[in-house]
Amino acid sequence: MADRVDAVREALALMDAQVARAFPGALAEHFARVCHDLAQAAPPGAVLAYARHAPAAVPFVGADAVLAMAGAVGEVARAAGRHAAIAFAAAAPAAARVTRDAPSFAGWVGAIALLAPSGAAPVVAVLKRSESLLEDLGATGFARWIQEGLRATEAAPERRAAFFALEGDAGRGARARAAGEIGFAELDRQLGLFATMLWGEIPLLQAAPPDADGRQRRASFAGTVIRLPPAFRGVAARDAANLYRAAVAHVMAHLRFGGARFPLGGLKPLQVALVSLIEDARVEHLARRELPGLGRLWLPHHVARRDGALGAASLLARLARALIDPAYDDGNPWVEKGRRLFAEAAAAWHDPAISRQLGNLLGNDLGQMRVQFNPRTHVVEPLYRDDNLGLWDFGDDGASDADAAALPRPARLESDAHRPPSPDAREAAGETDRIQTGRIQTGRVRAVALDAAIGIPVARYPEWDHLIRATRHEWTTLVEYPPPIGDALALQARLGRRQALMERIAALIRGARISRPVRLRRQAEGEQIDLDAALAAAIERRAGLAPDPRVYARTERHSRDLAVVLLLDASRSTNDLVPGSGRRVLDLEVEAAALFGRALQRVGDPFAISAFCSNRRGDVRYFRIKDFSQPYEARTERRLAGLDGRYSTRMGAALRHAGAELALRDAYRRLLLIITDGEPSDIDIVDRRYLVEDARRAVQDLARAGTDIFCIGLAGRGESDLARIFGPRNVLHVDRLETLPESLAKVYFRLTGT
Amino acid sequence: MMLADHYMTAEPYYRAVGDEIALFEAAYATRMPVMLKGPTGCGKTRFVEHMAWRLGKPIVTAACHEDMTASDLVGRYLLDAEGTVWHDGPLTLAVRHGAICYLDEIVEARQDTTVVIHPLTDDRRVLPLEKKGELARAHPDFQLVISYNPGYQSVLKDLKESTKQRFSAIEFDYPEARVEAEIVMHEAGIDAEDAARLVAIGARSRHLKGHGLAEGASTRMLIHAGRLLAKGIAREAACRVALILPITDDADVREALSAAVSACL
Repeated sequence: MADRVDAVREALALMDAQVARAFPGALAEHFARVCHDLAQAAPPGAVLAYARHAPAAVPFVGADAVLAMAGAVGEVARAAGRHAAIAFAAAAPAAARVTRDAPSFAGWVGAIALLAPSGAAPVVAVLKRSESLLEDLGATGFARWIQEGLRATEAAPERRAAFFALEGDAGRGARARAAGEIGFAELDRQLGLFATMLWGEIPLLQAAPPDADGRQRRASFAGTVIRLPPAFRGVAARDAANLYRAAVAHVMAHLRFGGARFPLGGLKPLQVALVSLIEDARVEHLARRELPGLGRLWLPHHVARRDGALGAASLLARLARALIDPAYDDGNPWVEKGRRLFAEAAAAWHDPAISRQLGNLLGNDLGQMRVQFNPRTHVVEPLYRDDNLGLWDFGDDGASDADAAALPRPARLESDAHRPPSPDAREAAGETDRIQTGRIQTGRVRAVALDAAIGIPVARYPEWDHLIRATRHEWTTLVEYPPPIGDALALQARLGRRQALMERIAALIRGARISRPVRLRRQAEGEQIDLDAALAAAIERRAGLAPDPRVYARTERHSRDLAVVLLLDASRSTNDLVPGSGRRVLDLEVEAAALFGRALQRVGDPFAISAFCSNRRGDVRYFRIKDFSQPYEARTERRLAGLDGRYSTRMGAALRHAGAELALRDAYRRLLLIITDGEPSDIDIVDRRYLVEDARRAVQDLARAGTDIFCIGLAGRGESDLARIFGPRNVLHVDRLETLPESLAKVYFRLTGT
Repeated sequence: MMLADHYMTAEPYYRAVGDEIALFEAAYATRMPVMLKGPTGCGKTRFVEHMAWRLGKPIVTAACHEDMTASDLVGRYLLDAEGTVWHDGPLTLAVRHGAICYLDEIVEARQDTTVVIHPLTDDRRVLPLEKKGELARAHPDFQLVISYNPGYQSVLKDLKESTKQRFSAIEFDYPEARVEAEIVMHEAGIDAEDAARLVAIGARSRHLKGHGLAEGASTRMLIHAGRLLAKGIAREAACRVALILPITDDADVREALSAAVSACL
């Protein structure tokens, strides 16, 4: 200890002058004390580094912030070692220079301290870049990036260093997000609401696939589907929302005021570009007649100037601006001619043909001016405008592609590639940082991971044989498997789009939460007078008797006392597509379970979610998605998203297990809700009725033990089976997902309500 | 005179949008119970006040809430120095003295509360005061009017079938743009152009009903925004204060609304 303190003294003597400048008067003493305290916690090298570099940071962020940093240096030294602490102290002046104020600097300090427990490598990697990161992301973005990185690598700390060294896509992607470059994922819902309000139609918004050639993607539309780039690169976070709104508003204007697609005919590329440009201006003008404020959304993006070059790109951009910005004065005869012709046609703006006519005319002029136009490099300007491919009819190929894309979103086919594998699966494949994996590879890896998961046999259950009319004891083995973890982003996005449903459920739930008030009479205390008791007391007093003092009444709400298990059928048959929707039965189940889970979490009723499938009687698989004791959280949804339809449906055993679990709950009412596609089966059973009868038996046994069982049949198949198993009054068939949450809520009321 | 305070002293402004005045007058002529259906803030209460003024009858209003008991409507014994004394509730008051009794947002009341109005709404026209052991016969001028907002949570809150079927119903909705602008103009004291803008915003916000908003901006909200405009508040600020912030707590919806309102202005 003594030599540490000596080392500090020595260093302080060396840097006396510098310190005196940075910490005048009483602050110098404070600084010495801070250094001394730090020497108790950190090795001399770190203390020296702090003492040497701290004064340089003071002019930017003030002495207090720098003094406060000492604690974090000690923490980093303890958690990540001497080197990290030295690098931390050394990076302080640069960080202070960029952050420029005490709170931001403290944000940087806090973020580094947060990272320290991950070890030296990530800390040093981040500190190496902290200046440029701070410049790009700001202190808040920096902290957000650190947090996201910690979260993303939670399951695989060995990837943390690579993430923070920006070596993989994950780290860079997160950095882009923290910088606010990626926007569509965050803005999806907001943009939908924006367009719905303005145009009264719910737009079909999709993120466009990432661009292969590295060029910035534009918005585009095909039919009524609007594709937006996942991010507009180089656009600051605060401008991104407006840019997306401008893009959506522009496409909505096309959809509202555009006509049929223009036939391509024999038009030259330049003419196509010009017709598109005129059409853009035409629909924008029409939209602004109704919504004048849109001009303020669009105009700031028009930055073409009259002193631009005389190339086609510049002239087109200037024409685009001249057509929509009345305050813009160009002076180029061609641009002014375009503006004049367009203005003269104002009476005919409602007719898309005008765009074609003017576009051709101006195209010819431009051609005669011998202006070079390169269709390969041509991009529509400004940034918010779509690529205009949706305006043109390219013949059969393009049309069929567009039609496929024009499927309304709820019916969109989700390919496997959209469902990233679980982290385990990714590791199994030896992948490090890639988020998008190939489709085939993903499928294979998933299968391996699932089978490799070790299940634990937890119980044996009897089975009812309807032929011999006897129970086969200990006939099935129930094996609990850890639920596979999936990526809940797609699920959460879908739930986000179901906002209207969520609100409807929330309204129903709000009612459920308020349980029926009960009036308690003859109380010693209460808010109201119990009139009968008061009268009796008054009479008794007049009669000279001792009155009963309990003359008050109060209203109390009886608390809800119930426990619910939601059991999901995850058998192979749930991989079937729901007729007419293009989505799997399991997707509907998972979505419904998530909606239900979110709602129940709000009511506060204890509930559990499990899923089951079976592979012969010796392996009835049971996945605990959420236990009673766990909160419903993001992890729960990841487990839900990880479900995959496999094997068969031995419903009886799963019901018995869920019922046994429920029986342990000390609740007045126990409710077992099962969502299934309604075909009990297993490969070791030939007799179709066998499992139906067994499930029926299980239901009867549980009902006798006081558990209410209700079945929700999805996709409306196997109706007679379900009615047979659960009783016709305890089955609800749901064909469309839209009605599922409401049906769930109704069931919930019927079984738990007042 | 009893209920002197319950007469409308001045004509409440009401802009008829259809034949609702004639319908109501006809219903009143036969003392038929009337149900006014429609979303919040579309003018139901104003209408019934206007009709009370037009018919020259007093009006007794009771706002229903979920803890409302039958005795809140009918009346109750209260204690005083001498013992107990009966106090008429609003409904009994209207029944005895011949007022229009207006039960606002009747669905909010508990269903066991609403059944007390049953004997009043058929040809018996009596109100049994069970606690008091009295059968109050309705004054010839008495009429019962209820308002009812068939919100989308009607699974939860709905009138009993036996209650519903005792009423005739007049349906209200937000008026068409031209009429709504006229109303906003009159009530807020702003010019036609501003009123038309506000109404356009209101109409668009109603697109979001069920998609982020439980209801769009009501005529009442538009009038609030208009009144702020009349006090010199800038348009965007007035819309934000009177339309956007009250209607939603959801940050996404608020952002979208702000952007959309700004696009309308």
